[in-house]
Amino acid sequence: MSAQTVTETAPVIDVVGLRKSFGSNEVLKGIDLSVTAGEVISLIGPSGSGKSTILRCLNRLEDPTSGTVRVAGFDLTDPKVDINEVRRHVGMVFQHFNLFPNMSVIENVMLAPVETKKRSKDEARKQALGLLERVGLAEKADARPSQLSGGQKQRVAIARALAMEPGIMLFDEATSALDPEMVGEVLEVIRELAQTGITMVLVTHEMGFAREVCDRVVFMADGVVCEEGAPEQLFGNPQTPRLQEFLSKVL
Amino acid sequence: MHLSRPRIGLRAVAGVAAAALAMLLGGTAAQAAPAPASQPAAVVQAKLPAVAPADLGGKKFTIATDTTFAPFEFRDTSSGDLVGIDMDILRAIAKDQNFQVDIQSLGFQAALSAVTSGQADGVIAGMSITDERKKIFDFSDPYFESGVQMAIAASNDTIKGYEDLKGQTVVAKSGSEGLAEAQKLAAQYGFTVKALDQSATMYESVKNQSAVAVFDDYPVLAYGIAQGNGLKVVTDKIPGGQYGFAVAKGKNAELLAAFNDGLANLKASGEYQRILDQYLNPQAASSGNIFQLAADSWPALSKGLWNTIVITLVAFVIALALGLIFGFMKVSTSRVLRGIATVYVAIFRGTPILVWAFLFYFGLPQITGVKGDIFWAGVATLALNSGAYLTEIVRGGLQSVDPGQMEASRSLGLGWGKSMQRVVVPQAVKISTPSIINQLVITLKDSSLLLTIGFAELLYQAQQIYAANFRTTEMLIIVGVIYFIVITLLTWLANYVDKKVNK
Repeated sequence: MSAQTVTETAPVIDVVGLRKSFGSNEVLKGIDLSVTAGEVISLIGPSGSGKSTILRCLNRLEDPTSGTVRVAGFDLTDPKVDINEVRRHVGMVFQHFNLFPNMSVIENVMLAPVETKKRSKDEARKQALGLLERVGLAEKADARPSQLSGGQKQRVAIARALAMEPGIMLFDEATSALDPEMVGEVLEVIRELAQTGITMVLVTHEMGFAREVCDRVVFMADGVVCEEGAPEQLFGNPQTPRLQEFLSKVL
Repeated sequence: MHLSRPRIGLRAVAGVAAAALAMLLGGTAAQAAPAPASQPAAVVQAKLPAVAPADLGGKKFTIATDTTFAPFEFRDTSSGDLVGIDMDILRAIAKDQNFQVDIQSLGFQAALSAVTSGQADGVIAGMSITDERKKIFDFSDPYFESGVQMAIAASNDTIKGYEDLKGQTVVAKSGSEGLAEAQKLAAQYGFTVKALDQSATMYESVKNQSAVAVFDDYPVLAYGIAQGNGLKVVTDKIPGGQYGFAVAKGKNAELLAAFNDGLANLKASGEYQRILDQYLNPQAASSGNIFQLAADSWPALSKGLWNTIVITLVAFVIALALGLIFGFMKVSTSRVLRGIATVYVAIFRGTPILVWAFLFYFGLPQITGVKGDIFWAGVATLALNSGAYLTEIVRGGLQSVDPGQMEASRSLGLGWGKSMQRVVVPQAVKISTPSIINQLVITLKDSSLLLTIGFAELLYQAQQIYAANFRTTEMLIIVGVIYFIVITLLTWLANYVDKKVNK
């Protein structure tokens, strides 16, 4: 099965009974989560609730302890799956950017398309310039990552993830490490991206942004999905005491 | 200062090697014929040439010798050639008997090992003929009558004979005939004998008056005094041991016979006496200031410097490869690979370089039967040692790269290998470069330890020179400066490359 055979209505992410333990510490205690193509969802919840771990199980940066994870038509828990192939369909943006300091900005963006033989160097450069243009950083193409501000770094990281033209984008607290005045420029890029029809899963602490941009919000606590629904419903009329308590603290 | 046998801490190492050798040689001693029989046999052979033609037809023999045991073998300061009584006699005999010699200057203990292990055909190294040695070697007719003599400071006018030593302290070398003779006289004349390990220490203690006299081998003393080492003799030599040329027991009888014939011819022609006089009654001591000395020594030192640089670079390239391989094994997920790398590092970081140098050069050939090559034995020693340290440097470098870098690369769909190659390793190299440069400098300095197996690197050449001219301090300053300059230049170059490559 490949990504192309997935239809618009079928879920592109389908997680069933996902459990994950680190040693004796069980972080995910049976998660069911389904995301359809083009849907933008955010995972919210207190620190340590397992939001980032779910995200990292979606491209197998963490191996699930049990349960099934299907992403873009691949069964990630199948040991025979070509994980590198899966990851080319799933872009990821990290809290700490993780740009490669040994390369220039444009080389960061070009790396994956060139190394996976998807594109020639010339094509990759052209595409990378287009992506940098899209995140407003075309003029920084030849700069080193160390010469950029935090917000600029994260915009480059988004361009880098987009270079493989993934159907799914994962954002792991993309704005948490930024100075407040730089949060806006990054959210702006993500907002524009959300309107292109790409499937997105965001782990975020930006409640206002989640409310505005997402189709659905998933609230997690203590390794389980506590409550989920449309943003207006979740933020406007929280059902569980746990969510009410959480919202009273963050809003 | 007089250093007749300069060996930096070599005694202990030689002991280790000798012990290893004894084990490896197995029953050699047990097979030995009764000791007294061996020398008469050689003498009989010596008489033979009257009937057999004294000609070996230009055949080539490998002869091992000491690195420096003036006046028997040492490097001529300006030419760098090996000269001395042993060398001159050997060459004169070779000419007389029409054979060729390939002289290997290895160090005393190493020269003996080379002959017993079959790496050399014969040994001439100011070697006393003893019953113990006759079990393992066949000796030629004695070519030198040695003995022990007493020397005192040149400025000392109060000591005129042994009777003036009453209540005083004298020094002699541990385990030497000089010590034995001094101890015999000590009871009779009422003085104290102190045993020291190094010739240099002995002579210095006489000059600085912590001892009044030194008992040492007569030829060594005679040569040193003639070179102006600040001592003088006031008593006659006590006749003692005889020096002989030796081959492995039961081997190379033809060479031994030729040596005896040639020696007889040299004595008859007066050439023998001329050679002895040249070394034991020399006229002028070396002169000139340190700059003159450096200039005179440069031909020999530059050869040594070249060898130092070549062996360091060759060994370091191999060490880098080892460091990369084992460094990656150390960070791998396989318990077995990690274990192998850990054992490698533990072994080579936990053992002295000298042990490996001796094992590779003397031990291995006896196990494999293949003649050892000193250069590659040295390369193996340095590379394996340095590789162990580089393994840890590589491991540290790889582990100091933020794990997020690997995750970011893997999340883009690059495999582990590609991620290492394009993302992690370039950063690890940048982080590790200062440590790698540091290791290169250490390796260069460690290469001087190879002098113990007779590899002609820089410090070895310097030792050869000061053993002959007694200008130890100045020579050490000269090589110290050379090492300093070379290491400084190397560090600059490495930092320059680092800046160019690791922007």
